[in-house]
Amino acid sequence: MQRRLRLFLSVLFALTLIAASCGDDDDTAVDSTDDASADDSAGDASADDSAAAECAPVKPDDTSSSVDASDVTAAFVYLTDPGDAGWTWAHHRGAEQAAAATGASLLTVENIAEGSPEFDQSVRDFIADGADAVFATSFGYMDAMEALSAEFPDVDFFHATGYKSNDTNFGNYFGRIYQARYLTGLTAGAATETNEIGYVAAFPIPEVIRGINAFTLGVREANPDATVTVNWTSTWFDPAVEGEAAQALLDGGADVIAMHQDSTAAGERAEAAGARWISYNSDMCEYAPNAYLSSAIWNWGHYYALAIESVADGSFSGGGTWPGMETGMVQIGSLASDVSQEIRDLIDQRSQEMINGSFDPFTGPINDQEGNEIIAAGETPPDFAPDGLSLLGMGVFVEGVVGSAEG
Amino acid sequence: MKRLVLRRREEAVRGGQPVAFAAGLVFALVIGALLLTISGDPVLGTYQRMWDRSFGTADTLSATFNRAVPLALAGLAVSIAATMGLWNIGAEGQIMFGATAATLVGRVGADWPSPVLIVAMLIGAAIGGALWALGPGLAKAEIGVSEIITTLMLNEVAVRLIVYLQTGPWKDPDGFGFPQITVKPEGSQLGIIWERSHLGVLIALAVIAGFAWFVNRSVWGYELRIAGASAKTAAYAGISMRKKVLGVLVLSGAVAGFAGGIELTGTAARLNENISNGFGFAGIIVAALALMRPSGVALVAVFFGAVQVGGQSIQTLGVSPAVAGILQALILFGAIGAAVLSTYQLALVERKVVTT
Repeated sequence: MQRRLRLFLSVLFALTLIAASCGDDDDTAVDSTDDASADDSAGDASADDSAAAECAPVKPDDTSSSVDASDVTAAFVYLTDPGDAGWTWAHHRGAEQAAAATGASLLTVENIAEGSPEFDQSVRDFIADGADAVFATSFGYMDAMEALSAEFPDVDFFHATGYKSNDTNFGNYFGRIYQARYLTGLTAGAATETNEIGYVAAFPIPEVIRGINAFTLGVREANPDATVTVNWTSTWFDPAVEGEAAQALLDGGADVIAMHQDSTAAGERAEAAGARWISYNSDMCEYAPNAYLSSAIWNWGHYYALAIESVADGSFSGGGTWPGMETGMVQIGSLASDVSQEIRDLIDQRSQEMINGSFDPFTGPINDQEGNEIIAAGETPPDFAPDGLSLLGMGVFVEGVVGSAEG
Repeated sequence: MKRLVLRRREEAVRGGQPVAFAAGLVFALVIGALLLTISGDPVLGTYQRMWDRSFGTADTLSATFNRAVPLALAGLAVSIAATMGLWNIGAEGQIMFGATAATLVGRVGADWPSPVLIVAMLIGAAIGGALWALGPGLAKAEIGVSEIITTLMLNEVAVRLIVYLQTGPWKDPDGFGFPQITVKPEGSQLGIIWERSHLGVLIALAVIAGFAWFVNRSVWGYELRIAGASAKTAAYAGISMRKKVLGVLVLSGAVAGFAGGIELTGTAARLNENISNGFGFAGIIVAALALMRPSGVALVAVFFGAVQVGGQSIQTLGVSPAVAGILQALILFGAIGAAVLSTYQLALVERKVVTT
């Protein structure tokens, strides 16, 4: 909505120009345009002015490649501007690392709305500029990616977070961030004193629901009495809305806030309230050094390097990929200094087990919110199933979550 | 004490609109060149790219035409209301609800023959847009509630309605749990007429021509312009302001809703809340650039569409999105400023003494 708002304010400004031209004597009304910047500035966290506890953010930079892909041009379409910590930032950082490692050229375009003709336009611009591979990092680009991949068989298309693909030049990719969320849940369960944890969540889609469930399973492993209350925002990135949603949870008694959002706003509210906070997308400890507890973070550079290599040697053939911690694409960030040794050991143990495949957070018995068993003891839902419960199609909350999975 | 005012010119500027427009454009490009120099981007290369990607080839020109369609229809909707001095700030929501109504028709008539389905969807879209404007029209006509507020507020309602349909009753059963509406039926895709331009380009031209004639030549349109110029004159002539206000807002909504129908059948794969993509608000600028004349919106919309398409394309050249945005705004600002200054002139006058 922010783009819409900006456009509307500029229209207001244009209107004042017209109105002024109608010979009115008073000189009113131009102030309204000032609001345009107010929304944005809310996102600028001031990392410098807090007398921080020690903070050493984990920012993965281990992307490497032995392939020379200097004749490949990789193009990225972003939903927002990269900013300095969120979803697009993580992708952009990975793209830059992968380009540096492989020698590929990088093209980017930002602020492209989902389901708009702008997406189609920017991909065609890229292809006209010689792009060999197009990476689209938001769900809503899926239909257009499908159509464009059919129209341009010589270009490779990579789509994040969707479910469509073909077996030639159109693939989808994502990572099992729920594994890292489960680990952050362990820290939250141990840290809460009120046994109420708040979760600021974007949209009720499987990806977000799966994350909330995995987090809650972690919380309750460390603390069976704790509950996780979900507050939906209907936005991926809107610092003002995210901050308010976090505040409502804090006011309701939560003393730990987790989030599936792209800004640091929830962390700033937690910091101000003296509560704790778990960040997502990147290790954001600098933004709320006292509140920061742990984080579930992406290391897209790994995947992007592999993807660019497959473009360079022509081995890319569409399909889907959904790796987890074993590839390093999904990680847990730094831990606050007061996380106990017991929890640190448990995190290490579970990490190893998830890496070697001997543990999955979604192995039953697991109940739904009403206490009915949805995953039997010893069973783990498949990644995908046309009917019934699957990881990729998860639409119900597990026991311990407070709120509606319908949004 | 003197102050600066805008005063209507007694004689039109030599050469009129086109000359003023060109001057405004040159002014914008010069300021833009300064900006690009400061930001370290190649000035000529950037302008060359904007031109190439908007008008340069048949392929890009046809894409510009497609982009111009919703802009022109939204501009037409705004200008129809403006003929009577009314502000339809809700074209955005009317586009969304028009597309929603078209989707409803598409769900019912998925098996109908393609031409029948498309016509039915477009009519549905117009009716949808009209319904979305009916409330503000009634409130304005009956009790004088500002249409600016009501039409604006309904934009947000339209967004929420689509989000509700996405997560609820219209959720795609094949969407793996993702909240999205089922794709439009196969037969509802408008045909391609030239390169990438779809049939909506011709339809929009016909609609605009029809309305231009209607407003300028018909009795109804004549009464409309009188009512817009002076409510008292209209009342003296026996024109019902109540009916006119209601009629014009509903008609304006219908045109905007129709734009939503064209977007759905022409470019979109399925209904989502971005279907309007700011076209409704941009339509206000289009109408302003066309000096609120329905006959002018088509040309202005092609220009505006080119600025949007070309402005976006320079991002891949390495121009920062912020600079690209400023550049687009500058060009529109220059054009609007020129439009104003060709009709009005700046003058220094004595400040009036307020006696009351």
